[in-house]
Amino acid sequence: MEDANALKERIKKMMVDNLMLQMSAEEIGDDLPLFGPGSLGLDSVDALQLVVALDKNFGLKIPDPGAAKEVLQTVNTIVAAVQKKLGTT
Amino acid sequence: MRVILVTGANGGLGQAIARSFLNESIENFLWLAVHKNKKAATQLAEAFSDRCAVLNLNVAERSDWEKAVRHILEKTQRIDVLVNNAGQHQDGLLANLDDAAWSGVLSINLDGVFYGCRAVLPAMISQRIGRIINVASLSALLAPAGQANYAAAKAGVVALTQSLAKEVARIGITVNAVCPGYIETEALAGLSAEERRSATSRVPMRRFGRPEEVASAVRFLACSEASYITGSIIKVDGGIF
Repeated sequence: MEDANALKERIKKMMVDNLMLQMSAEEIGDDLPLFGPGSLGLDSVDALQLVVALDKNFGLKIPDPGAAKEVLQTVNTIVAAVQKKLGTT
Repeated sequence: MRVILVTGANGGLGQAIARSFLNESIENFLWLAVHKNKKAATQLAEAFSDRCAVLNLNVAERSDWEKAVRHILEKTQRIDVLVNNAGQHQDGLLANLDDAAWSGVLSINLDGVFYGCRAVLPAMISQRIGRIINVASLSALLAPAGQANYAAAKAGVVALTQSLAKEVARIGITVNAVCPGYIETEALAGLSAEERRSATSRVPMRRFGRPEEVASAVRFLACSEASYITGSIIKVDGGIF
């Protein structure tokens, strides 16, 4: 079973690849906000791509904007949601 | 294989669009979305049974779209092109237009395009490529008297097209619209000889367009050569402006 750190790195790499971020996975902080001032600088289209990528890669379905706001706060919140889905917490 | 979904596939324009794609390449697989009338679409699907299928879809129903897209992805795994062609008009002067004529036309022509685009986006985002072509109308640009509902809906389609094009351009999805003018379809079948003469006189080319001429524009917007065209509105109208 994938440990938390490996999962975290996989999610960061997924973000870099899918969102075509001009940075490496290692440069994304675990608790760096993804949206808003002082954040990674993602926007609503990035959010949509993340929702699709999380479903495709982990089977994590984010059914509505409210759930997306909860899950897509930071890398750590995404990891927690994926772990919950995979039953690894 | 390139998977193409055409709504309103039973009508004259939808048939021409579907045939155009079928003739373009044996790699094209066509989903013909129909509602109520399906005879022509069924015949076409039977003629090209290895790469064409009929789908029941009321474009104004969000749940129909969800079911249809799920079905397409199960059967053909992807959606490369969506042609939002289904439409309807109930003309009348605004002062006499009843609520049903207003909401019905808005529902089919505008809500249907919204639901369709939204339904296919996750698949296209996942593929990182997709083509959406919305069939609007010259009425969106000229807003003739007696078509307040239809013109408003089609103008909405034009605005939706341009807005969505900006949203998804960086993901590799293009969104464009065509605006047909007077086209020889069932929509013009009810014109009297005098009305036809009057309408023809307003067309610089002095003739109505053929459905195939609209289909060519749609097919071009879906092809790889149109990869840098997005948010564009192509008039197919014999020169009316």
